[in-house]
Amino acid sequence: MTSDCTNVQRQLSDFADGLLDSGAHAAVLTHVRECADCSGVLTDLERLLATARQLGPIDPPDHVWLSVAGQLRAQSSAPLAVPAPRARGPVWWQWAALTAALLAITVALYVISRTRTTSTETAANANATAAPVTGSIAAVNDELTLAMQHYERAVAELEAAARAGDATLDPSVATTMRTSLTSIDQAIAESRAALLTNPDSEPARDSLFEALRRKISVLQTTVNLINDRRQGDPAGASRPASGVGRQS
Amino acid sequence: MNDGGRLSADLALASRCRAGSPGAFDELYRAHAPRLFGLACRLVGRVEAEDLLQDMFLTAHRKLGQYKGESSLGTWLFRLGTNLCLDHLRSRRGRFARMQDEIDDDTLVATSSGPVLGVIDRLDLERALTTLPPGARTVFVLHDVEGLEHREIAELLGVSEGTSKSQLHKARFRLRAALRPDAVRTE
Repeated sequence: MTSDCTNVQRQLSDFADGLLDSGAHAAVLTHVRECADCSGVLTDLERLLATARQLGPIDPPDHVWLSVAGQLRAQSSAPLAVPAPRARGPVWWQWAALTAALLAITVALYVISRTRTTSTETAANANATAAPVTGSIAAVNDELTLAMQHYERAVAELEAAARAGDATLDPSVATTMRTSLTSIDQAIAESRAALLTNPDSEPARDSLFEALRRKISVLQTTVNLINDRRQGDPAGASRPASGVGRQS
Repeated sequence: MNDGGRLSADLALASRCRAGSPGAFDELYRAHAPRLFGLACRLVGRVEAEDLLQDMFLTAHRKLGQYKGESSLGTWLFRLGTNLCLDHLRSRRGRFARMQDEIDDDTLVATSSGPVLGVIDRLDLERALTTLPPGARTVFVLHDVEGLEHREIAELLGVSEGTSKSQLHKARFRLRAALRPDAVRTE
């Protein structure tokens, strides 16, 4: 490694991009041909650039489109503000179910944040005994389990509402909703399993938080679609169908 | 399709979206969401990228009237999406003050003999990207992944072309160090 190497390596990035003028390009090329260190660095940079060019698009999860479509529909229908005749009966308990789900999520997130606080405090206090922490985590897990059971019941009611009679969503939308929810449920289950194994795992908590948030988002969209349908806008309930579940 | 034909098709699609034609905005989303999601994932991380992608398309829907066909819809959306990502990074930098774009100079000069990288796994590169400071990561993604020129990056970021080149140089050397087999194994 010489002072020449230092100067050349500072120019290697531009050299690899072909941005040097002809004189500088020739000087770097001459050095690289004679210097194994700098030649190796250039080879690495070229491999790095080749791989970077292969990083392509990433398919977003379906629920993102569901949310976009739901919000656009809500915006487009908002100015109408016509008091459409609401279907009696099932609508109120769909909202009640969603409210219950949101409540359960709030509890779950509170529990999660409390667990996090406990972990932080524990880490800060090296003299703390293990027993109270273990007991606290067990209690937290019990609360989390209860909240999740409550939440799952609410979800089941919502799904039943979506399947019921005339309120049924466009079949392709319903199928995609179920697919999305199944995928999210799997993420929830994996995160919960990880938390049971390692209650202090922040990635597992974050993952659970994110999965719960996504599920709420899909459920909110589902309820919006159901209500579109019930308020005499069947087209609204099927509108997102063409964009849901596709793999771009 | 040549440029003229593509721009006409883009203008027609934008017009159908503005008119609320069934399926039009879906078509726009389908065509452009994956690239924008990839961009957002690499700039801000996967979790926040989902929210940003929503913002991008809701903003695009609101601003479609401003699209006059001077560039392709893809370019227009990419610029809009990039700006939203950059705004997000700027606001986050306020919350995480320690996320500075300072890179020690010792990462910028290699001392090892010969190449140290073999075939680079794309997932390893995605992972290594997350270790870069935001400024260097942004320039690397825009230049080496998305293919923008320094002039365009400088305009988007509000910096000089020299700064863009310098950040790219830092990003590449930092990535080289992070992707060394011994560095990857110890992560």
